[in-house]
Amino acid sequence: MLGRDEVPRRLTLRENDDLHIVFVARPGYSGNVDFEIDIVRPGANLEIAGLYLSNNGDKVNFNVCVRHLVGGSHSRQIFKGIVGDRAAVSFDGLIYVAQDAEKTEAYQENHSILLSDGKVDTRPQLEIYADDVKCSHGATVGSLDEDALFYMRSRGIPFEEARKMQMISFVSDILDRLPESYRNDVISRI
Amino acid sequence: MPQSEDIIRSATQQEYKEGFVTEIDQEFVPKGLNEDIIRLISAKKAEPQWLLDFRLKAFARWKEMTPPEWGHLSRLPEIDFQDIIYYAAPRRDEDRPKEIDPALQETFDKLGIPISEREVLAGVKSKVAVDAVFDSVSVSTTFREELSKLGIIFCSFSEAVREHPELVRKYLATVVPAGDNFYAALNSAVFSDGSFCYIPKGVKCPMDLSSYFRINASGTGQFERTLIIADEGSSLSYMEGCTAPMRDENQLHAAVVEIIVEKDADVRYSTVQNWYPGDAQGRGGILNLVTKRGICRDGAHLSWTQVETGSAITWKYPSTILQGDYSSSEFYSVALTNNYQQADTGTKMIHIGKGTRSRIVSKGISAGFSENSYRGLVQVLPGADGARNYSQCDSLLIGNRCGAHTFPVIRNANPNSVVEHEATTSKISEDQLFYCNQRGLAPEEAVGLIVNGYAKEVLSRLPMEFAVEAQKLLSVNLEGSIG
Repeated sequence: MLGRDEVPRRLTLRENDDLHIVFVARPGYSGNVDFEIDIVRPGANLEIAGLYLSNNGDKVNFNVCVRHLVGGSHSRQIFKGIVGDRAAVSFDGLIYVAQDAEKTEAYQENHSILLSDGKVDTRPQLEIYADDVKCSHGATVGSLDEDALFYMRSRGIPFEEARKMQMISFVSDILDRLPESYRNDVISRI
Repeated sequence: MPQSEDIIRSATQQEYKEGFVTEIDQEFVPKGLNEDIIRLISAKKAEPQWLLDFRLKAFARWKEMTPPEWGHLSRLPEIDFQDIIYYAAPRRDEDRPKEIDPALQETFDKLGIPISEREVLAGVKSKVAVDAVFDSVSVSTTFREELSKLGIIFCSFSEAVREHPELVRKYLATVVPAGDNFYAALNSAVFSDGSFCYIPKGVKCPMDLSSYFRINASGTGQFERTLIIADEGSSLSYMEGCTAPMRDENQLHAAVVEIIVEKDADVRYSTVQNWYPGDAQGRGGILNLVTKRGICRDGAHLSWTQVETGSAITWKYPSTILQGDYSSSEFYSVALTNNYQQADTGTKMIHIGKGTRSRIVSKGISAGFSENSYRGLVQVLPGADGARNYSQCDSLLIGNRCGAHTFPVIRNANPNSVVEHEATTSKISEDQLFYCNQRGLAPEEAVGLIVNGYAKEVLSRLPMEFAVEAQKLLSVNLEGSIG
């Protein structure tokens, strides 16, 4: 599924379903992005990736809820983005593991780089009622690495380009999931 | 090591050993809450007018507020605030006003709290100054004279109001305003006693200070208020402990702790919370609804360490406002819930000053039918250049009928700051258990051992005696959780 397509907001995964979603919020996009996904049969596999490049007062709200209602399924959420110039991004993600949904593996990550006067609110949440599970989440909000910029500049890469390279590398694992033509389009907007 | 054997032995045999009731003549105010009750409490403590006004104002605010419902606490009952006795105190013996009632002495002896200096001086216990609070009053504060030589004020809150009104007035409700939240407002209206502590400029407190809270009377609530002020460049290690009798009813404990850490001062605040958690069917137990908050000025440091094994319901978020530049704070917590206990606990770190740093390490352990939630906020304001936070929240599930949850909130509005959060949820692996069993440890002992290892990062930060007690508690409270 591509980001240009209409995204169904509510999904149910059954036996051995394998779903990969990549959502890209390009500069200039404002809005709410909601995913509500129920996993109701074992063996399902879910991967949701999100990328946001927000500036110029963009407001993007991600609201992701993944429910593991039975055991033996996997889910992975990864959301990354760069936020600057009066943009505000919020990420509200929940992994819910129901009672007796043993052998669930669920992971959730949200990483943001904050440029000048951007704002990030992130709420990665775990609600777990089964014990034999592997669940984790991680969230970071940080800035561009000064040392890396210095390294590149001392090797003759101009400041702006060095910044851009660092931003591209930061989101590269999401870019890799996109088809090539679309990927180049996204890179050109960073 | 004889000590670890001891821990294991006591782990397999003990129940809540602090669950006894002291038979003592007590005076109560009538049940219920209204302005007259507040006036009566204030009059009993012979308080000045400004404090009564403060209480009444808080009460007016409280009446307009509603209890917070966002906690993940399905078993928190609706509390009838008119069905609580707001003040209960052991009756003073008119003939011997200076001495401690033998029954009280015995109670604290039984709890292992040194409220007489003799024992400590004889070297039986290590040197800790204690303020012991029994229901609504402080019954004894030790080592006051020795501390006062250094200019340190350590006394009950009521005494502080009488003897140092200027300090109390200057700092009271500056960190937790009267209308901060529902329970803080209630506390501000009816608070009875608590500890007051002032460390003057540049003084390093030579011994640990501690408060010990004991609920005894039935049908009462405890509303203590603690105010700690560490003036410029001073340092202090403070400990807090608490227990209550076993009863089928729920008892309310709504405390407020305020800590002011002035420039370059350093405060360590440690809590071992061992309230009665209710029985195995979830009947009774303390409802612990507490507001704790500290403020750090330039270069100051505040460290929270807590081990929680007790209370039926815990709703507690020790927080730090990092107002001063280059101030720092830590939050280390182990929260254990078993049977039908529910805990919703965590911390808030508000980064306001430049170069502020905070670190959160939270270890939740849930067993039985309990629910254990971490809820936290890390907020970086636009002016907090170079702020840094690292949070780690691990949950351990023992059994498949309990829940472990993590609800962190990160708000970052500064591009020169770094905030990191990670959390994991897991159970004790079969391999670990098998390894221990194979070497002759029974399943329960093995779990105790593994849990203590899991919590070690936090336990190692506690002052010595507390660490031993906390280890024992963790083992005891896990008893029967393996099935």
